[in-house]
Amino acid sequence: MRRPRRPPAPVPDATDAGGLPAAPAAGAFARRAWQTPPVNPSPSSADLAVRTEGLGRRFGERWAVRDLSLELRRGEVFGLLGPNGAGKTTTIRLLSALIGPSAGRAWVDGLDLVGEADGVRSRVGVLTEAPGLYEKLSAIRNLDFFGKLQGLPTAVRAERIERFLRLFDLWDRRHEPTGTFSKGMKQKLAIARALLHDPPVLFLDEPTAALDPEAAAVVRDAIATLRGQGRTIVLCTHVLPEAERLCDRIGFLRTTLLRVDTPARLRTAHADGRVHVRLAARAGPDLLAALRTAPGVAAVEAAADGLVAELREAESDTPALVRALVAAGAAILEVRREAATLEDVYFEVMGAPADGEAAA
Amino acid sequence: MMRIAWIAAVLEREVAELLRNRLLLLSILGPPIVIVLGPVLLGKLVAGRPLPAGLAASLVAGRPEWALLDPGDLAAAYSFQQFLLFFLMLPAFIPLSIATFSIIGEKQSRTLEAVLATPIRTAELLAGKAIAAAVPGIAGGLIAYLGFAGLVRALYGPALFAIVSAPDWLAATFLLGPAIALLSVVLGVLVSSRVNDPRTAQQVGAVIVVPLVGAVIAQAAGRFLVDATGYGLAAGAVLLIALAGLRAGSWLFAREAILTRWR
Repeated sequence: MRRPRRPPAPVPDATDAGGLPAAPAAGAFARRAWQTPPVNPSPSSADLAVRTEGLGRRFGERWAVRDLSLELRRGEVFGLLGPNGAGKTTTIRLLSALIGPSAGRAWVDGLDLVGEADGVRSRVGVLTEAPGLYEKLSAIRNLDFFGKLQGLPTAVRAERIERFLRLFDLWDRRHEPTGTFSKGMKQKLAIARALLHDPPVLFLDEPTAALDPEAAAVVRDAIATLRGQGRTIVLCTHVLPEAERLCDRIGFLRTTLLRVDTPARLRTAHADGRVHVRLAARAGPDLLAALRTAPGVAAVEAAADGLVAELREAESDTPALVRALVAAGAAILEVRREAATLEDVYFEVMGAPADGEAAA
Repeated sequence: MMRIAWIAAVLEREVAELLRNRLLLLSILGPPIVIVLGPVLLGKLVAGRPLPAGLAASLVAGRPEWALLDPGDLAAAYSFQQFLLFFLMLPAFIPLSIATFSIIGEKQSRTLEAVLATPIRTAELLAGKAIAAAVPGIAGGLIAYLGFAGLVRALYGPALFAIVSAPDWLAATFLLGPAIALLSVVLGVLVSSRVNDPRTAQQVGAVIVVPLVGAVIAQAAGRFLVDATGYGLAAGAVLLIALAGLRAGSWLFAREAILTRWR
């Protein structure tokens, strides 16, 4: 089911969401067959922080996750979207070696998920859905305990605890029981805990869930801070603008991975064939009539600052539209395709909710 | 192979949390005080009052060495003997309380997943929790007993002190008590994995004291007095049951079971 459209947004540059190489524009619609393109054609295994091959997990007869094949590059922020019950948390638990797979294989930071589970756990940081803090203990004692469980020496623990508490603006309340903290502060402390052992891979499971807008903004800023540090981050969230803002690529999960791409390409690929043309003068009836006969143009209507054309294939028919505009003597200021919102993409990819799932 | 540093980290955190839980601390510290002072005060009430002849004859038949006591001390010795089993309830109740509060507390605050996401092994986590629960129970039982014995020596003299420091008391306190504490921890872990309320867990786990209560009633009725050998055998049996329970329930404390099967 399609949701109401937001005002047209300009199509962002396809490389703007993290520097990943842009796919050839003509291939955008071809990939709507829900294939999952790799990060790049053949990244070497040294470039990959996470690699899965047909990974799956079954509980009884029900598959929570199945046939998950994915490659995440080092330094990439990957968003995992899907309704409740789609398998996001199970995926995180699998990739952080908390539970074992029923099928397939996976490697995290080069370590086999099953054979080297202890090593995997020392190389990943996990922000669980709930902060999971000992509320009678202070922020320092919480971090110190988890630092010990990560095997950090005393001096290293002390230095990192201070660094992260200062980074997340919690240093002044370091001796207070975490039970007195706000939700946002608890979430920041939980992120600090996940970072304490300097893991190359970070899994964040709904980091802003149940937070008020201010606390959510604080946590989002914290995640944005981590983006520039070269960590691979897997972010599970229901907040689509958050995913769009923070993620280099987004994967839509519903038991299996349905679609993976950059936010920009997802929005472009799922856009209708609507092209907005801004003109120096208002489009008259003659211009509109001329355009209606142009190849590939399904409909044209005047807009306040020009016109909007509905093309049969936006990628291939746009040049013909521009030629027809020039031939008709129109003074063109700007031509831009209308992009879909991530919410449009979400509902188009996900389709109708399955049994046992809730819509995002 | 378990690593001491990880067990110590869990133990240290458990102790830190225990010290901040006033309700739990009160439930741990209160009973030993009652159990120490109760028999001492009761002994003063009954001392000098001879027991019914039938009961006195039955006691002396079971414990010939008690024939040397004068009738007033025999009544005090009889009352003390009832409390021996109460001292065994300390290592039963204290570990149960700590283990259930600890595990269910972690379930309620959802800290276990964060802990299990670290390289700690579940055996190390279980060991840390078990030590944190069992040691206060064992220590509570021993300290209470030593305090009681000291008061008896001070207030009642050497004859009755000899009764409460006889091999049966020592076997019960130093052998059966620790075995009961271990069984209590095992029960606490097993029950806590299935319920979400410490009180419910304690009520279910309290099944451990049923045999003790039965023994108290039977002993109070003068039906039998367990000797040191009996306590030693009981300790062995309880230890075997505890180890069997630990082995049978070890799958419950596997990483995956905690995350997917615990409710």
